[in-house]
Amino acid sequence: MLIWRINLRTGSLQREAVPEPWSRLGGRGLLARIMVDETPPACEPLGPNNRLIFSPGLLVGHMLSSCDRISVGGKSPLTGGIKEANAGGTTGLQMACLGIRALILEDQVPAAGETRNDWRVLHLSLDGARLELCADLAGLGVAESAVRLLRRYGDHVAVALIGPAGEMRLSAAGIQNLDKDRVPSRIAARGGLGAVMGAKGLKAIVFDAKGAAKPPIADPEAFKQAQKLFIRNLADHPQTALYRDYGTAAMALTCNAMGALPTRAFSSGSFEGAESLSGEKMREVIQERGGEGAPSHACMPGCAIRCSNNYAGADGKSLVTPLEYETIGLMGSNLGIADLDVVARMNWEVNDLGLDSIDLGAALGVAARAGLMAFGDGARAMELLGEIRKGTPLGRILGHGAAVAGRVLGVLQVPVVKGQAMSAYEPRAVKGTGVTYATSPQGADHTAGNTVRAKVDHLDPKIQAALSRAAQISMAGYDTLGACIFAGFGFAVAPEVIPGLLNARYGWQVGGDILQLLGKETLSLERAFNQRAGFTAADDRLPEWMTQEQLPPLNAVFDVSETDLDGVFDW
Amino acid sequence: MVVQVCLHTSLQRRTAAGLVRHLELELPAGATLADLVSALGLPADLKGVLPVVNGRIVEPSQALAEADDVHLIPALSGG
Repeated sequence: MLIWRINLRTGSLQREAVPEPWSRLGGRGLLARIMVDETPPACEPLGPNNRLIFSPGLLVGHMLSSCDRISVGGKSPLTGGIKEANAGGTTGLQMACLGIRALILEDQVPAAGETRNDWRVLHLSLDGARLELCADLAGLGVAESAVRLLRRYGDHVAVALIGPAGEMRLSAAGIQNLDKDRVPSRIAARGGLGAVMGAKGLKAIVFDAKGAAKPPIADPEAFKQAQKLFIRNLADHPQTALYRDYGTAAMALTCNAMGALPTRAFSSGSFEGAESLSGEKMREVIQERGGEGAPSHACMPGCAIRCSNNYAGADGKSLVTPLEYETIGLMGSNLGIADLDVVARMNWEVNDLGLDSIDLGAALGVAARAGLMAFGDGARAMELLGEIRKGTPLGRILGHGAAVAGRVLGVLQVPVVKGQAMSAYEPRAVKGTGVTYATSPQGADHTAGNTVRAKVDHLDPKIQAALSRAAQISMAGYDTLGACIFAGFGFAVAPEVIPGLLNARYGWQVGGDILQLLGKETLSLERAFNQRAGFTAADDRLPEWMTQEQLPPLNAVFDVSETDLDGVFDW
Repeated sequence: MVVQVCLHTSLQRRTAAGLVRHLELELPAGATLADLVSALGLPADLKGVLPVVNGRIVEPSQALAEADDVHLIPALSGG
């Protein structure tokens, strides 16, 4: 596999051998390595010196269940630090088939002024790279843009694209990817990488692997054996059935029971309407309504878990795919909204704008605290999202996420770390996840190390740092493999599977500790980048109000000691 | 004493009236979570199940009290 490096100012493509220090990394780990080696840490995230990097994980390219994720990275305009956001869909698979270990986008397509209408599509195939004008897509939502791009380039391609939010360079803009059914719904959402892409002048990247061979496997028989064991373990695991039947939305009642469901702008951990937002209810509704709805759906080809879904309205027509727990938490209970149909419509809207539903949900919560909407008023929430599409000053404020909204609107209780909004696990009630929010180089992000599943007292402050450390190392490892979080429980049954797959794929001889080694290396690199960008221990804290204001109903505060927080990465 | 029980996801019970996830359960005074689990006919080791009583994850030996809010949650890794 090769590094494809494209200078967007000149349009030149260089295909380079993978340098030795990068050769055993992929996905998040490789992004971190490239950022440390090449990107000036003090650079302006929306300027020409930032890089936008795409890298499939080490196991991507073989339709191995839940292991075809694409990592996207750069310096975040939201956090000011390193950023990796990953997504399912088909981008990773097509990149791996094209033999691209990492796509490094340098510089920017020159812009005539602040408002750009000369958007480009970057088309990548075995023939190389070409930049094409796509003025007709300017200002268009992600859904219509994807339809036009597929018409132009064919149904077989993968596409990564931005919506109006990325064009406006809003800090909560993400990069959408097509799922296996070509719906642009798999968003590398967090940290504003859509704004970085917009700043570079790219509306879309098309990956066309037509004619490409599958990535080589050094020992196909050994790979097949390891794959077989993994799939069996995954299929037999009770969590697979749970995710298939209820999706991530099953977490709504779980978190509500633990007093950890963000409610009314993180002012409570329990929501009286939680039942109406639950995975259990969602499954009933989808099954009753029929039509285009489906309680289970695979976002990547070959996925055995199928945790995704298609949520249809009363007329049986799809409202959004998928409807996930994080959106339900941030745009439902966090806004006092107890109606899944309303949440689904909001979800579609932010998807189409190309925005992170977590940061937008948190920003709307801030807006509600500021009196711009009443909690529970879904129609007003949709109006506020409409402001973003119109590009009004208020819309742009919200589109920059919760941290900016809090600053502008004078709200102090803002649920962010390093400028990035927390996901739907209240850190005062699930304190291990709170430690992850505080200390992850990525900013507040449950996917960096969620501890909610641990059978421990989540309110005991003394045990949380160790839990978070283990979770963060594992997650950084999985993100480097290109594995979905949920592949983790399949891997955990037989730890020999990961080294087995890697050794068979690459002819390596790694041992049973490879996941931890990859995770630690990744985290160390990310922290090194952030330190050079100016981050200190003071950035590894939850917002002060969460250490002071009690969270009902358990009346908990975040009280993990600063010593524990500072020791998370001492391994 | 009477405790409130919520059975999550795959532990919901299919009855003639449809799926049931909320129950009121009468238990003798001094009953523990393990007694409740046994009364429901669930595996005693609660493997893969998070038992939450009044918002906290507890051990099977936890003594229950009148009006306790008990959730039995098949564990998921998050969302």
